[in-house]
Amino acid sequence: MIEILALWLLLLIFGGSFVAQVARRVRLVAAAPNNFSLDLLGFRIRRFVTDVVFQRKTIVERPFVGLAHAFVFWGFVAFAGFTATEFLKGLGIVDLTGTAWFHAYRLALAPFAVAALAGIVFLVIRRGIVRPVALGTHVSIESIVIGLFIAILMVTFLLDFRLEEGTPAARVNWWAHACVILAFLSLIPASKHLHLVLSPVTVFLKSPVLGTVPNLDFEKEEVGTEAIKDLKSKQVLDALTCVECGRCQVNCPAWESDKALNPKTLILQTKDALLAGSRDAKMVDVFDPGVLWQCTTCGACENQCPVGIEHLPLIIGARRGLVSNGEAPDYLGNVYNHMERRGNIWGLGYDQRQKFVESAGLEIFAAAKHEWLIWLGCAGAFEADFQKSLRSLFAILSAHGVRFGVLAKERCTGDVAKRTGNEYLFQELATQNIADLKAAGVTKILTSCPHCLKTIGDDYRRFGYEVQVVHSAVMVAELTRALRATDIESEVVTFHDPCYLGRYAGRTGEPRELLGRFGGELTEPARNRENPFCCGAGGGLLFEEKEKGTRISDVRFGQLRATGAGTIVTACPFCSIMLKGSQASAQSEIQVVDLMTFVNGRLQRMPGRTPGSP
Amino acid sequence: MILVVAEQLDGRLNRASWEAIAAAQQTGGPVKVVVLGAQAGAVAADLAAADVAEVLVAEHPSLERYTADGYVLALAQIAGAEQPELVALPHTYQTRDFAPKLAARLDRALITDCIGVRPHDGGRVFVRAMFQGKLYADVLPAGPAPHIVTFQIGAYRADAVARGSSAAPTRALSLTIDASAVRQKPEAPFKEAKQAVDLSQAERIVAVGRGIKGQEHLAVAEKLAAALGAELAASRPICDAGWLPMDRQVGSSGQTVAPKLYVALGISGAIQHLVGMKGSSTIVAINKDPDAPMFEVADYGIVGDLFEIVPALTKALNG
Repeated sequence: MIEILALWLLLLIFGGSFVAQVARRVRLVAAAPNNFSLDLLGFRIRRFVTDVVFQRKTIVERPFVGLAHAFVFWGFVAFAGFTATEFLKGLGIVDLTGTAWFHAYRLALAPFAVAALAGIVFLVIRRGIVRPVALGTHVSIESIVIGLFIAILMVTFLLDFRLEEGTPAARVNWWAHACVILAFLSLIPASKHLHLVLSPVTVFLKSPVLGTVPNLDFEKEEVGTEAIKDLKSKQVLDALTCVECGRCQVNCPAWESDKALNPKTLILQTKDALLAGSRDAKMVDVFDPGVLWQCTTCGACENQCPVGIEHLPLIIGARRGLVSNGEAPDYLGNVYNHMERRGNIWGLGYDQRQKFVESAGLEIFAAAKHEWLIWLGCAGAFEADFQKSLRSLFAILSAHGVRFGVLAKERCTGDVAKRTGNEYLFQELATQNIADLKAAGVTKILTSCPHCLKTIGDDYRRFGYEVQVVHSAVMVAELTRALRATDIESEVVTFHDPCYLGRYAGRTGEPRELLGRFGGELTEPARNRENPFCCGAGGGLLFEEKEKGTRISDVRFGQLRATGAGTIVTACPFCSIMLKGSQASAQSEIQVVDLMTFVNGRLQRMPGRTPGSP
Repeated sequence: MILVVAEQLDGRLNRASWEAIAAAQQTGGPVKVVVLGAQAGAVAADLAAADVAEVLVAEHPSLERYTADGYVLALAQIAGAEQPELVALPHTYQTRDFAPKLAARLDRALITDCIGVRPHDGGRVFVRAMFQGKLYADVLPAGPAPHIVTFQIGAYRADAVARGSSAAPTRALSLTIDASAVRQKPEAPFKEAKQAVDLSQAERIVAVGRGIKGQEHLAVAEKLAAALGAELAASRPICDAGWLPMDRQVGSSGQTVAPKLYVALGISGAIQHLVGMKGSSTIVAINKDPDAPMFEVADYGIVGDLFEIVPALTKALNG
């Protein structure tokens, strides 16, 4: 009887503490403007199964750590019924421990307990002794304590098999187990272990599309995230969910090139400000100076996060807050001017695009005549190197009988404006472009620029504009699928996956398919496929040439050069500009070529073939 | 009579004032120059060297620091007293600030950023560039005189000002300005951290790129720059390598330049560089690679080894 009362008392104290702490956080989420979305429910359910139940994101990047974590996680889930049954008995409500199914359940738990124990010992050693950089500079005592708690729970559970029921030793063991659970309960909410409770929800609520940053509604006078109180409910949930694993940090090109930006720190600073109740704190003051403008929007942080945090809406939201107050960096002021006045990021006159259109013999798109619209983009319209690549693309398309045309006039899609938080400019460009595309009757768009791909293919959807947009690598891979290159000498190449092609669009297979088909002997660089290392151009940083730390493009160029390949192939005009810049600075002899140039060059060298012919 | 409004700061004349005087002289008719400020007298003697009818000095405590209200009050009075047919100003930032207000106050036509004047039907027609210089428009001012005209900087040459045989007479104007009518209270002027080299003011630039191969070869370019009286500039890789300081970098994040002559030595012409110098009047490119994008924008291109061409060019210039 005394034991029952004691357990009730302890449960009220520790359970009450848990509830009070969790309720405080729930209120923070509830107080924020609601932006929870459940679109694409089927995808969300599938992702929940792979990422929560089977721990995909946790395991893929760090297999050993991920597996150890999965053992602990599965142990927790498996033990839920056991703990509940024991507490029901201990509280004198109902005793189910004598039933046959409970005995079977208890026996079945033994392997889980052993696995969880092994897992947690491994994790505690890693955190306390190995101390990888991603986990921060100081050892979290609280994490060690919680690790020990989990170990004690498993040991006491296993010990119970060896103790005779009802003996004092068994009771002490039982109480030790129960007390640790209660203490654990009250420790969870104030620690990163709150992810136990929140991360399944956060993962479920994460946008199905990487880098989803919903439009601002100017009718409602939205200007972006100026202060903590402007954070939306998912962003508050994100901050409270962070498990501080540092996957975002070690994959961040800014952090890897000695800049101040650390995505993990952004989330933790947001969390601290939320918990401190600093509703009016300006985001720019919450974060370290300058970090908001060091993000290339490569998406690595958001994509690698195992607990469903979306960093891009946070960073771009805060940028919007700054831009709306005229606090964008100077170099962006020029770019915005160029986009406003000239409709392109370079500020060049449209006669130069016209010259290219004429010299390349391009036709103006007519729905009756052409199947595909080629979207040239700012680089395609003005950048001489990239125009070479486009001419290669045109040659391949023509040889395959593809009927294509271009718009008489294009504006920039607004990618730089969107990613840097100049939402007004973005929406102006987007609505004008959409009107032009609709008026021309365009249904299929082909582009060689992965940024245009993302902007037209995803961001324009939020204006209700649905159109098929395809990157040239995908299209040409399909067109040339029946070709078998013979008599073509092979060449060692490496491929730099553009973030907006590999990570955002998931198109990692087609470029490799093309390289393989046309004699490219691929040697993969560090960081490839859907987790590439950014070239440094995204998020408006193409125009920021006075980078702090090492240039991101130099770091990437170093990784590519380390493959020993004689040629770096890429498939994005911005990547190409950045890597060529680093190549020139490094006085290196490695060639940087666009995928289309590579393919067409190879086609031309194939014996008995006219350029691009099937 | 044409009244030119010269601009001075702390007793130093803005060079563009000479251009406005040259424009006024070439327009025809007598020219007077007025200069405003607390130390306007300091530049009167300089201005009197020009072949003008008179130099008017408007000193007043309310004009100590530039304010739009103060300048408009003063110039409205002066225009009323002198009755010019035309008020000519250099198209400086200061002029941009107060000229529209002055025109509204006088209720007279304002034509900004002109690059030329032609006689027309006994009056004048003014030429303005439109659509970033793609078109020129002839503009006739409507309504009674004085018309107010601002001249684009660089459209007239300062050294084309006709000098008088003797100094022009100087006359001090007495103005009544009610200090309370000046609503702006300017803070002390400040300068942003100034770059050591202001390439944007250079008339001629010799720029080097990766084709220069090594820091030790910079002398080749320096000699050409000296022969041309040009500033030395560079593309990003050169400044990245530390061969030249960052403030000599031309490009999207370096300086944006628009000299009369831009000589690009061994610069391939990456787009970030092109956007920083595309406004140059005449571009000369010297590069080994005939496919270099720089040739796309160049007016004159030489495909060849810059180490042969540049010394020969320097020798010819010095010859």
